[in-house]
Amino acid sequence: MNFDDKVPIYYQIKTVIYDRIIAGELAPGEKLPAVRQLAVSLTVNVNTVQRALREMIEEGVVTSQRGRGNFVTTDTNVIETLRQDLITRNLKQLYERLHRLNIDDQEIINELVTYIERRARQNESNGKN
Amino acid sequence: MKATVKINQLTYKKNLKTILADVSLDVSGDKIIGILGENGAGKTTLFRIISGVAKNYRGDVAINGKTSPADRKSLVSYSQSLGGFPENKRISQVANFHEQIYPDFDRDKYNQMIDFLSLDVTQRLAALSKGTKEKVIVALTLARKTSVYLLDEPFGGIDSMSRKKIINSIIQWKPTDSLMLISDHYVSEIASILDEIVVLKDHTVAIHKRADDVRQESGKSIEDYYESLYEEGAQK
Repeated sequence: MNFDDKVPIYYQIKTVIYDRIIAGELAPGEKLPAVRQLAVSLTVNVNTVQRALREMIEEGVVTSQRGRGNFVTTDTNVIETLRQDLITRNLKQLYERLHRLNIDDQEIINELVTYIERRARQNESNGKN
Repeated sequence: MKATVKINQLTYKKNLKTILADVSLDVSGDKIIGILGENGAGKTTLFRIISGVAKNYRGDVAINGKTSPADRKSLVSYSQSLGGFPENKRISQVANFHEQIYPDFDRDKYNQMIDFLSLDVTQRLAALSKGTKEKVIVALTLARKTSVYLLDEPFGGIDSMSRKKIINSIIQWKPTDSLMLISDHYVSEIASILDEIVVLKDHTVAIHKRADDVRQESGKSIEDYYESLYEEGAQK
């Protein structure tokens, strides 16, 4: 995968894995690929993967079982918190950006609803083709 | 055992010209270190000294605490160009030669890498492209079981597919517990796999930092950070 070389790589690895967990591609309790396998698939150093794993373990999202490997937590509350944080972070960015342009709250809501409806229609028509 | 390379106040001159001046470097652990610097910065000389090939230097060089050149040669696998072999030799013959002179040559591992890199070992050296040559060199270097690996500009002038293959081989076959130094003058291609960077400038070590610390502290890519070191120098 392509990393942004301006941001610490271990942080980007964490983001990639958290995204997969939130999206449900990595289920609660699922075993993560071996460290070296992750390193090869992401084209990063083994130590960088280990640093990312260490932080994910500290944050309680990943649990390490000696000799067996690393697993996604089975605590769904932790995953839900992760999900909420990500949603909030993205909405915050969007809201602050639009707010700076003096677009009032009601208009933001209206535009968002209109946009979502339009996307839904687009997806529907794409599905038919 | 933790691999270490310790260099203390190393100075090397050739024909009255200073190549390295007062270089001190302490690296250890199972890391990949990028040795960065312009052409002529002394990267190759540094590798030749560490591996015990170049002599007549002043200062101390130790690998895992061993200082004699003979001990160091056995602890280091240093990527040599294939220039020492006649052009009509086949890849397989070069590998046989390596197996004979290095007792730590691991034939299974070598075969796995040859497979992964899709190399045809019946090819003669004269027929190899630049990228294929580099792949052969990396496979031969990593096939030895040593504490320290020195890869001297393994990506010089090769296409991006060969580069990716070589980078993946490094991640996959660098033994745990070994220390690897990779030199390059163009950093962006290897930035994602480096633990630390060492910049050689004006014959000595200008910077030695953790790669993720550079990104975190400067908010710059390794490439931009590296280039900024040269721009600052130009303003003086």
